[in-house]
Amino acid sequence: MENNPLSPHIQIYNWHISSLVSISHRITGIINFFTITMSCLWVSLLLLGETNYEIVKLFLNSFFGKFILIGVIWSFSFQILSEIRHFFMDLGYGFEIKITKITGLIVIIGSFPLTIFFYILGRYLV
Amino acid sequence: MVQINLPQNSKINKGKYFKDKTGSKNIRKVNVYRWDPSTSENPRIDTYEVDMDNCPSKVLDILNKIKNEIDPTLAYRRSCAHGVCGSCAMNMGGKNGLACTKSHSEIKGDIDIYPLPHLKVKKDLIGDLSGLYKQYQSIEPWLKNNSKSKTTEIHQSQEDRAKLDGAYECIMCACCSTSCPSYWWNGDKYLGPAVLLQAYRWIMDSRDEDRKERLQKVADELKLYRCHTILNCTSACPKGLNPAKAIAEIKKMLATT
Repeated sequence: MENNPLSPHIQIYNWHISSLVSISHRITGIINFFTITMSCLWVSLLLLGETNYEIVKLFLNSFFGKFILIGVIWSFSFQILSEIRHFFMDLGYGFEIKITKITGLIVIIGSFPLTIFFYILGRYLV
Repeated sequence: MVQINLPQNSKINKGKYFKDKTGSKNIRKVNVYRWDPSTSENPRIDTYEVDMDNCPSKVLDILNKIKNEIDPTLAYRRSCAHGVCGSCAMNMGGKNGLACTKSHSEIKGDIDIYPLPHLKVKKDLIGDLSGLYKQYQSIEPWLKNNSKSKTTEIHQSQEDRAKLDGAYECIMCACCSTSCPSYWWNGDKYLGPAVLLQAYRWIMDSRDEDRKERLQKVADELKLYRCHTILNCTSACPKGLNPAKAIAEIKKMLATT
């Protein structure tokens, strides 16, 4: 059996909503890990004086910086919604195919308005 | 380990093209994965033009038609043709299922037929499932009752029997396990949905006295917790069962007892 070929797997298998949410959950989790680390470092820069802090602030207010910022907020929004979905799954609910599709769609679509909400909240209200 | 690309000897080439000879106007193209163990060639995709006017409704009927009328060298497993034996499990149109219960009208465009994903191929559409059977054996799928003196039947209430619904119907076709990305990357250690559903079936059996040991046995980072609720298993199951829910129930039992 050593030389027998391996049948194709991820190359041919269809994506479903549930598998898409699952892999996105993982990717956003990794992004969030780095984001939290970076923002901790950013806050630590305060200790080294105002100018270092200002540089990062300037970057985040540039077009590219805003792009990254909004991307990161989306990553958090997605993770939050997906985590709520996982929470119910851990309790043993929401495993029927139809329900996983609905909750998966809520996570994917809902992450965008939640991003806008968090952005506005951070920009103007806090 | 996660290996996205196929190994060098598994890269798929373009194969032969079998043109329709019946002159039918209702033709569908069927792409079938082929590999012949007697040669050292890589796998290939053969394309068959099949006359759909004289073909019954299921994918298995197409394969039978190809084997009987076009190319007798095609190899695939099949037996009951009624979704009971689980022999004809394969990947059709990008999703695992039983060829005998899957209607070809559900598949749009050309029909792509592959063996079950991420298995060593024995020939054409036949994958090697011996690893899965070994794992099945490892959960000891038989009733364990330690009282030797008791010779009468062991009673089970209707409620307790109802707990096995959705687990005992499994035909071990391996559609679920081979649809699971976690099982692709960790198939040597992770038990996979099919085997875990059976583990659940024996854990839940009121007549079984080995419940605690059974739970302890699957409580393992790799054996059980590699399930990340991707839910490919539940959407693939041709019997409409829910292995993902069974795995979640096992996790819940381990967390609460």
